[in-house]
Amino acid sequence: MKAQDILSYSFSAIKLRKLRAGLTTLGVVIGIAAIVALLSITQGLQSTITKQLTTGFATDTLIVSSQGGGGSFLAGPGGGASAASSDFRLLISDTQIINGIGNVSTSVAVIQKGCYVKCGDKLWTATIIGVDCAEYADIYSSTFAAESGDISLNPDNETIVVGKRVSDPWENGTLLCNVNDTFEIIWTNATARPPENETYTGYVAAVLNEIGGFGIGGPSDYNIYIPISQAQSFFGTTECSSIIVKLKNDDEATIDSTSEAIRNAFDKQVSVMSATAVLNTLSSVFSIVELFLGGIAAISLLVAGIGIMNIMIVSLMERTREIGILKALGMRSQTVLLVFVCESVIIGLMGGVIGIGSGWVLAEIVALVFRGGGVIQAGSRAATTSGMTITPLLTPTVALLALGFGIGVSVVFALYPAWRASKLKPVEALRYE
Amino acid sequence: MATIVEAVNLKKTYMLGKVPVNALRGVNLKVESGDFLAIFGPSGSGKSTLLNLIGALDKPTEGKMLIEGVDVSTLNDNQVTDLRRGIGFVFQFFNLIPRFTARQNVELSMAIAGLSKADRRKRTGELLETVGLKERMNHKPAELSGGEQQRVAIARALANNPKFLLMDEPTGNIDSKTASEIIGLIKELNEEKGVTIIMVTHDQRLASQSKRIMQMYDGQIVQEVLN
Repeated sequence: MKAQDILSYSFSAIKLRKLRAGLTTLGVVIGIAAIVALLSITQGLQSTITKQLTTGFATDTLIVSSQGGGGSFLAGPGGGASAASSDFRLLISDTQIINGIGNVSTSVAVIQKGCYVKCGDKLWTATIIGVDCAEYADIYSSTFAAESGDISLNPDNETIVVGKRVSDPWENGTLLCNVNDTFEIIWTNATARPPENETYTGYVAAVLNEIGGFGIGGPSDYNIYIPISQAQSFFGTTECSSIIVKLKNDDEATIDSTSEAIRNAFDKQVSVMSATAVLNTLSSVFSIVELFLGGIAAISLLVAGIGIMNIMIVSLMERTREIGILKALGMRSQTVLLVFVCESVIIGLMGGVIGIGSGWVLAEIVALVFRGGGVIQAGSRAATTSGMTITPLLTPTVALLALGFGIGVSVVFALYPAWRASKLKPVEALRYE
Repeated sequence: MATIVEAVNLKKTYMLGKVPVNALRGVNLKVESGDFLAIFGPSGSGKSTLLNLIGALDKPTEGKMLIEGVDVSTLNDNQVTDLRRGIGFVFQFFNLIPRFTARQNVELSMAIAGLSKADRRKRTGELLETVGLKERMNHKPAELSGGEQQRVAIARALANNPKFLLMDEPTGNIDSKTASEIIGLIKELNEEKGVTIIMVTHDQRLASQSKRIMQMYDGQIVQEVLN
């Protein structure tokens, strides 16, 4: 029997029971749609987050922090591995040690604290970064640049540089503060007894260009920058939160060897995070998430597969006599098997195609809901959240994989009923009522 | 005349639960090309069992079933199936595929044999004309009378130029007037087109139209009559 004739025979059998075939197909559609929707949203999210991370990202930098310190949760392999119980503190002066290591171009210490900020009658929380702005601008030359004012601050002055979203949180031109405005930074000194609020008054010397992204380790639209010497005396500390290291190049070998050298220089008491390592970690996290979500969706496809098997067995019983006729007319057992498998392939194919389409629509709807939520958040919580948007990403690989999986499940679950059909004895099948 | 079908000491035993039933107890039979044989007997005499063996739908417990000199017992599943393409089956209950039209039903056996669509179309037209159903070829079995359905079944049986037609009570499920027409058609096929026919029946009238009648009783051929 020719392939085309087998196909048309199978199709005629499906057409006979439209509702039943439709419902069976629906099972496959739901399974495939779930896979496609979940994977394309995850991939979209990954791409969005990666883009946010790499915006203003300097690939030739390392971030050194004392172990257990901020940011180490994202550190790549080798970071934050050993016990974090020591009393080790990273000092501002440690930049000198780091500068002495080969391949290090320069390094800058950063003091980072959460504070209240008061400008006019508005009060909100913000992250204060104490840093040598001139050197910082040197490292992040593309992102740490003034839109208005001057960032090369005199370290002795009580000057402030603010991110774009601090100045313009609503993104509509209504400014919270601008160059030359006076600013109060209120920090609660929790080590004093009793704890007391200390106030630092400065004026805005510069507003940065819009950067976008999360600015991991690097400049962010949501930060407030003060000179490191001022931060040191205001916070009363010689410790720093992290040291940003600029390398001479961004080769992986350089990154690895320098990271190791820095760790050794501090007797493995520091964690060294590279931008590249963060991305790698993120990507492996997303792989796990994808696998997990895909696995959940695959369960629904498995249920659909059992539905197919069920229907095929019922269909086999109903058509026992027909199978007897086919065999009497000279249809080989393998061809009978093919006819039944082919019916299932048609169902899998239809379910797959419709499933990919509806999965895509589903992903778009979910993305739309996210987008709506993001806007509301950004509006109500001003400068503290970013209105992140997700664009679902349906790669041909995912689509083909889903389709193949759908057809594969259909075939696997049809094999047993089809095999039983092919093994029917013509005499008995013809006698079947 | 070439021998098409030959049964040598054919025996078939079924297990009915735990009780063995000897359906055939040593049947010898020879059918030559152009023959028209009626196997006649009461129900339970082993007619249908013999028919299933001749049609290679089943295998004997003992003895030999030779079709064109080939022992069916020695063939594997695929070979037996291919052999059946050369046999035209006509069943008592027509056994047409309900979702197919008369034309599609006739075409099906040719599709199974691997004929091209154009060849199938052409031959189906001719066959349905032979059985006098050309104008009703696009009707489904449910829209056809019993006699018409049996004509479609005969056309289907003839589709692959079979070595012989094997008929199981071909008039058993249709009224007597239509039955006469079917009998006429069968006789015509045998006499004018030289089609070899082996037929099981307990219809005396139909049996009397054949060239030979074999009377079966209790799993054995008890009498042979030449018409």
